[in-house]
Amino acid sequence: MQMNPIVKKDIRVQARSMRICWGLFAYEAIMALVFFLAMFLFQQENVYSNTNIYSNIVMLYPILAVTQIIILGVVVPIRTASSISGEKERQTFDIMMTTSMTPFSIIAGKVMTAMIQGIFFVVAGMPVMALAFVIGGMSWAYLFWFLAIAVLVSLFSASIGIFCSSVCKKSITAVIMSYGIYVIFFVVTAIPNMICNILGYTVTGNQVTMIFYLINPAGYLMEFFIWTMSGYSSVYEMLAFSSQGVKGSQLSAAAVHYGWMALSSILFILVSVFFLWIAAKRINPISKRKARKLAMQNQSS
Amino acid sequence: MLQINHLYKNYGRFQAVQDLNLHIPQGDLFGFVGPNGAGKTTTIRMVCGLMPPTAGNILINGIDALANRREIKKQIGYVPDFFGVYDNLKVKEYMDFYGSMYSMNSRDVEKIMDDLLELVNLSDKKEVYVDTLSRGMKQRLCVARSLIHNPALLILDEPNSGLDPRARVEMKELLLNLKSMGKTIVISSHILSELSEMCNSIGIMNHGRLVAAGRIEDVMGTVFGSNRLIISVGSEMEPAVLMVKEQAGVKVESVGEKEIRIAHTLSEEKIAKMIAHMIQSGVVVTGFHKQEGNLETLFMQLTGGTENADESNC
Repeated sequence: MQMNPIVKKDIRVQARSMRICWGLFAYEAIMALVFFLAMFLFQQENVYSNTNIYSNIVMLYPILAVTQIIILGVVVPIRTASSISGEKERQTFDIMMTTSMTPFSIIAGKVMTAMIQGIFFVVAGMPVMALAFVIGGMSWAYLFWFLAIAVLVSLFSASIGIFCSSVCKKSITAVIMSYGIYVIFFVVTAIPNMICNILGYTVTGNQVTMIFYLINPAGYLMEFFIWTMSGYSSVYEMLAFSSQGVKGSQLSAAAVHYGWMALSSILFILVSVFFLWIAAKRINPISKRKARKLAMQNQSS
Repeated sequence: MLQINHLYKNYGRFQAVQDLNLHIPQGDLFGFVGPNGAGKTTTIRMVCGLMPPTAGNILINGIDALANRREIKKQIGYVPDFFGVYDNLKVKEYMDFYGSMYSMNSRDVEKIMDDLLELVNLSDKKEVYVDTLSRGMKQRLCVARSLIHNPALLILDEPNSGLDPRARVEMKELLLNLKSMGKTIVISSHILSELSEMCNSIGIMNHGRLVAAGRIEDVMGTVFGSNRLIISVGSEMEPAVLMVKEQAGVKVESVGEKEIRIAHTLSEEKIAKMIAHMIQSGVVVTGFHKQEGNLETLFMQLTGGTENADESNC
């Protein structure tokens, strides 16, 4: 199978630019800063409370993981938001559209490039994260679960970026719009549940609002990390604050957690694919419907 | 090769292209001319599938370009007016990139790349970064890129804009070379003198309409008519002018210092007799020839002088 030519070209071009070196340097610098800050705090805690420093080191995992996810979430949309609009600004887009590549494969190529670059950064930061697992007390599997989540976050943020890039003519507008959509997913999807909690609605009402919470990235990450670190499912608690909820049923917290994570992951993938599909439709100069309509017009005339 | 039937393109109420009908046979080098905003680029973009028409159809090699876009893309090579550059990409990688966009594997691209780079005189630039090439070289590279999948139809939208005279000559030679190889080429340009030197057929657009199209000589003949004659005189002008005026079916258009321009409805035989009579009567006729129009004059006449002289000669 032939590699997507856009991925091959973009990776090659980026690898030769200084931007990738500076990007990697900045990424590692942030990671190092967070690492040293965390280590300093653990040491301080050890001095004052005389706790075992090794028991605190496991906390490096969520701290560094969340840092990486935040960087990914910030950087990946910038890469994709400027991809299509960047091609338009560079005036290479029209040539691309006259080749045999389909609009979807062009979009997929751009998204894959951004994802690969994101994962490249994450993998580069993994040795530091692995320190948390050396001490023991945590399964190495969580490191790979984190990698899977990083891929999902990259896909989701890249798809938002590419969607905005296909809608906007200028890269800067696309980047701003991407962050605007982020706000919708982070804040707007949590609002129904927050209102429900404030107003003290019934369990059923609360459970309905949790549907929106399924596509809240903050909720998704919180559930993952809290479960990983403590075995406590925030979703289980939110869904069942009385015997009327899932607690009244036979479902265990683990079943709710894994079910929730699976469902939420699928929804994020579907939302991402939806954004990619819209982006592919947006860059397609002649839609199938339009072509069919014209063909019918010509036949009738 | 390219058949356009009743093509329209509207932007709201503005009609960019109106009832465009055009047929370009295989192997033609077709020059597309018209003032700015005449609808040339819009037409080219519709042919390349970069823009949907409001109505009408485009057939390339008998295949409907709208209904079979995937198939049509393989038959078209497109060169835009501006060469967009990817930084940090070498000439060979640039060619490989576009080859793979036509589902060609690197080995196939490698085979054809050498020939194409030789054709555009860039063989020695294979390992050079594209962004370091001169504008003329970039434009020639763009032509090589557009030929990577061996298209039957090559469409160039003002490829000479911004090029220096040497680069223009090289581009002209390249296009003539491609024509001799049997490629059908459509080129839009403002440099009319160059188009008249290389194109064998033209289409002139104005206000979204195709006002003239066909073989250059046919279009010239239709517009200027073939019945204009310039007689060069080496003796006194007055008797010569009187003699011409006496001839039925002849109208003197202008009299210069040493030439008489006439419009006539005579056959070639009668013209020959008139000239012979002038010579026998003692008028020194140093020469005579049909008045040929040039593309600039034709363009100005058909477009009503909407294009200023600077633009048509830029």
